[in-house]
Amino acid sequence: MLHEILSALVEVATFQNLLIMIAGIWGGVIVGAIPGMTGTMAVTLALPFTFYMQPVPSILLLVALYKGSTYGGSVSAILIKTPGTASAACTALDGYPLAQQGKAGKALNMALYSSVIGDFVSNISLIFFAAPLALLALKVGPPEYFMLMLFALTTVAGVSGGSLLLGLISGGLGLLLATVGEDMYGSFRFAFTNDMQSGLAIAPVLIGLFALPELIKLIVLRAAHKDEAAKLGDQKVTRAEFMGSLRTILKGSAIGSIMGAIPGIGPSAAAFFSYGEAQRSSKNGKNFGKGELEGIAASESANNGACGATMIPLLALGVPGDVITGVMLGAFMIQGLTPGPLLFQTNIHEVYMLLIGMLVSSVLLFFAGKITMRMFSYVSHIPQTLLTPLVLLLCLFGIYSISSSMFDVAVLLGMGLVGFGMFLLNIPAAPFLIAFILGPMLEENLRRALAISRGDPSVLVSSPITWIFSVLILFVITITVRREIQKSKDRKAVAA
Amino acid sequence: MAKPVFRGLLVAAFFALTLFVLIPPFVPRPAFIPGFAPPPDMWPRTVCITGIALGLISALAGVLGPRIADEPVDTDGSSRARMIARFIGVVACFAMFLIVVPYVGFLVGTIALTLAAILMTGERGRWLWTLLLAVGGPILILLFFHSVLGTQFPKGLLSKPFGF
Repeated sequence: MLHEILSALVEVATFQNLLIMIAGIWGGVIVGAIPGMTGTMAVTLALPFTFYMQPVPSILLLVALYKGSTYGGSVSAILIKTPGTASAACTALDGYPLAQQGKAGKALNMALYSSVIGDFVSNISLIFFAAPLALLALKVGPPEYFMLMLFALTTVAGVSGGSLLLGLISGGLGLLLATVGEDMYGSFRFAFTNDMQSGLAIAPVLIGLFALPELIKLIVLRAAHKDEAAKLGDQKVTRAEFMGSLRTILKGSAIGSIMGAIPGIGPSAAAFFSYGEAQRSSKNGKNFGKGELEGIAASESANNGACGATMIPLLALGVPGDVITGVMLGAFMIQGLTPGPLLFQTNIHEVYMLLIGMLVSSVLLFFAGKITMRMFSYVSHIPQTLLTPLVLLLCLFGIYSISSSMFDVAVLLGMGLVGFGMFLLNIPAAPFLIAFILGPMLEENLRRALAISRGDPSVLVSSPITWIFSVLILFVITITVRREIQKSKDRKAVAA
Repeated sequence: MAKPVFRGLLVAAFFALTLFVLIPPFVPRPAFIPGFAPPPDMWPRTVCITGIALGLISALAGVLGPRIADEPVDTDGSSRARMIARFIGVVACFAMFLIVVPYVGFLVGTIALTLAAILMTGERGRWLWTLLLAVGGPILILLFFHSVLGTQFPKGLLSKPFGF
């Protein structure tokens, strides 16, 4: 085995392979940082180039693009409150307030460190736990999926905006919007136009909800300091700040690794879940959403932590966990490699090369992130009155380019208005988004579970995994309600 | 009416409207549903009923709960009427953009929308930057997306002879 590993190491450490990984990571970071351009887009666009490459370098290029784009989403989330990817939406909650306080550099650095550590932990988990995690993932059926997602939703609703009730309302709105389009048996719901038959895409809803309300706020409210550009400010994350967030980073990395290993969950849900857990357990929990470095650490470690882990079901079972790994499955097949248990017997040399390459790419992510951070830091010098219209412009072109659909552009603008309305009503946007993303899976698994059990709802609490999630949901609700009652008492006391 | 009460009633009204007015005609039940599978309207109805309950609880909490003022929204001190007029302006600009793109094309539409957005933010001092961003920005971004991704942006009926 050692000989195999050393031989794989030698083959990976060639100038050509390193160059491919650097290009992939850096390209991914830039793509991820541009609103409307996604990691899926980057991986799909790079696929034709891999036809002419050796199997392992071609997969490494795609993995590097995936990792880079997941981190890149945090750059625009922090600097202009426009998450480049859905998984960076949580990063915007604390990153943008930090940028407004003149601590964008600190926020970007924390995002980078957390991403790199999350990525590294994820790769390690891929190496050591691929087989057991894949087996665990196989035991997760529709009832377990439903309870897991319900738990993730409850956690996010409880921690966003400071009110469980408003979080749940926001989640309800997101769940309702997610029902638009064709359901699992082919019925069209709320399809007022032909475009709505295929449902609403995530990108216009995400970007409309997070980025456009900033422009509308600037136009309608014209708050003070509108001419001031956010300063990059203090760059360094101090040792105390890093050590204070280390527990959250490691926890986020573990959450990302576990949730990423479950097909269909992906980095977005992992980031939201980790953010909620960090807010619940951190002593700085009340500062979350106002510019807390731990919030960024939780979100970024989990979303990058999920990246490597999404390869677990792909490599071990041949099951792609999300769209990107679906594209990668195609790349494996094109290269004559068939993911699944047999891959570890017939192509163990390639598997070792891939795993080592992924570890190396974690290190490269650090340097690519540092360089890109400096490049994008100039964005913070642009005055708000010019920057926010520029964001609108990027959003319009980016969203149109995804599906060449004016309907998506209309959804983007409409969601901007909805986001502004939610801001005025103090309804948090994060639960809306996570409910919109998880909604179809939540519904599908509920309906499947009910169909399997012949309509018996007790199937949702029929296995040890579902019991665990039921207890966790009750625990989160109890903790949140207690915290809100305490907060209400404190505010009353201050008012008196 | 206090904001929490208004918010709760608005949410309850929205979900009620969806449940009683939109779901019956726009979420049709298929003639045949395999096995014990729940019908397509089960989930939207569940969400709406939960939403109505949450809205009403929120309104009730606003009536019975402690009267605590919301954090003030940071503004430039303009009157409410003026801010409503600005919001109507934003909605009008977005709507106009969607209406005129088929006629003037995506490029001209985005130039007009960007210019309008910059002017509506109150920016008046940086004319050169405003023009560069509103005119140069869309052209550069269009060229980028066109050359990198091969995206064909919609050409307008009126602007087609000019190539955009």
